[in-house]
Amino acid sequence: MIRPEEIKLSSEENGKWGMVIDQDICTGCQACVAACAMENNISFVGEEDSGYGRAMHWIRIERFWEGEYPEVKMTPRQPMLCQQCGHATCEPVCPAFATVHSQAEQLNLQVYNRCVGTRYCANNCPYQVRAFNWRDYQRPEPLSNQLNPDVTVRRMGVMEKCTFCIQRIHKAQDQAKAEGREVQDGEFTTACAQACPASAIVFGRVDNPESLVSQLAHKGHGVKHLEELGTLPNVTYFKGG
Amino acid sequence: MIKRIFDWLKQPLGLIAVGIAFLALFSVAAYGLYTTQQAPAQPIQFPHQTHVAFGIQCLYCHPNAAKGPTAGIPAQAKCWACHQQIAKTQTSVLLAPLKDAVLSGTPIEWVPVAIVPDFVQFNHRAHIAAGKNCEECHGDMSKVTIAQNPQVMNMGWCLDCHVKNAGEDHVKLVKLTDCGTCHY
Repeated sequence: MIRPEEIKLSSEENGKWGMVIDQDICTGCQACVAACAMENNISFVGEEDSGYGRAMHWIRIERFWEGEYPEVKMTPRQPMLCQQCGHATCEPVCPAFATVHSQAEQLNLQVYNRCVGTRYCANNCPYQVRAFNWRDYQRPEPLSNQLNPDVTVRRMGVMEKCTFCIQRIHKAQDQAKAEGREVQDGEFTTACAQACPASAIVFGRVDNPESLVSQLAHKGHGVKHLEELGTLPNVTYFKGG
Repeated sequence: MIKRIFDWLKQPLGLIAVGIAFLALFSVAAYGLYTTQQAPAQPIQFPHQTHVAFGIQCLYCHPNAAKGPTAGIPAQAKCWACHQQIAKTQTSVLLAPLKDAVLSGTPIEWVPVAIVPDFVQFNHRAHIAAGKNCEECHGDMSKVTIAQNPQVMNMGWCLDCHVKNAGEDHVKLVKLTDCGTCHY
């Protein structure tokens, strides 16, 4: 239990990888949602399971509105994904240590082979961004050929969530190491950021003051969601700037 | 009822029955484990030791081990580059599948021997770059016909080497023992 005076804000502590999402230029086109599903082998659960609230997305576009009908006003769309918290609420509740903090990459990991499917982490996530495999969803023949070989195909009873495309992080690091250099800013990006036609999503190192993402994150009017819970999220949102 | 069963099991005949049942279960389990450690059947009885004896380097046939995640199994075109100049290829019974495959243009379906589960992301390049030699994990290929695993490839075996390799370097140890380094 943390006392309110102990809660740290992200301005005091930074992670390693971070993201900036500009809600003002997000058109809600769902390209990031589709790209994420393709990159990360996310199952298509179908109509019936979706009706039970079992749809699996690692990123979703949330929409909110203000006022009473008929004077309803849409507020900017809000892409919501795992915030890769520095002090995550999902981590301490896992009885199997399947959701652990990566010391090397400062990300929240989900270790699929350890997960026993208690779903405690999803219930404890204030952002509600975790997805559970309620079934082994089938991929009929031509669809199985588009699976990404760099990402595990999850099975029934396993929790999953956004990894900040850790397979791309590793690939870029491996490439840079083979060429004897450091990973450069903008050399690679996550699938959602790559697919965004409006470039509303920017990904990179937040601990490097030179990178685009940390320059944007420190512009001043950025907001981190539910920061008051002390989760130290690594995604900054811009709205009404 | 349960007491009667226990009484029957306590007499000599019952004890023998328990012993036989235990032995049967144990041997089935042992056999099951044994079969998981056997090299799978291959379309061609590929003799690694002959090829190594000719002085062919591992990286000649598996060049991607130094460049990427998978070492790769060579295509039949690579086999044929040498074998079409060898007279024995035309006559040998063991090499008939290779000749057929090349002439008909159908790929040979080799069975991978050293495999890791889907939830393990292994990268050959990083291991070669760290100074590992092929035989440290895959065994001495100059002694085997079909490739076989010299040890059980499990996580404890991976981590033993990772911890040893990191030594006193704390940053390296954190990276090499991080779950996200191999599992994602």
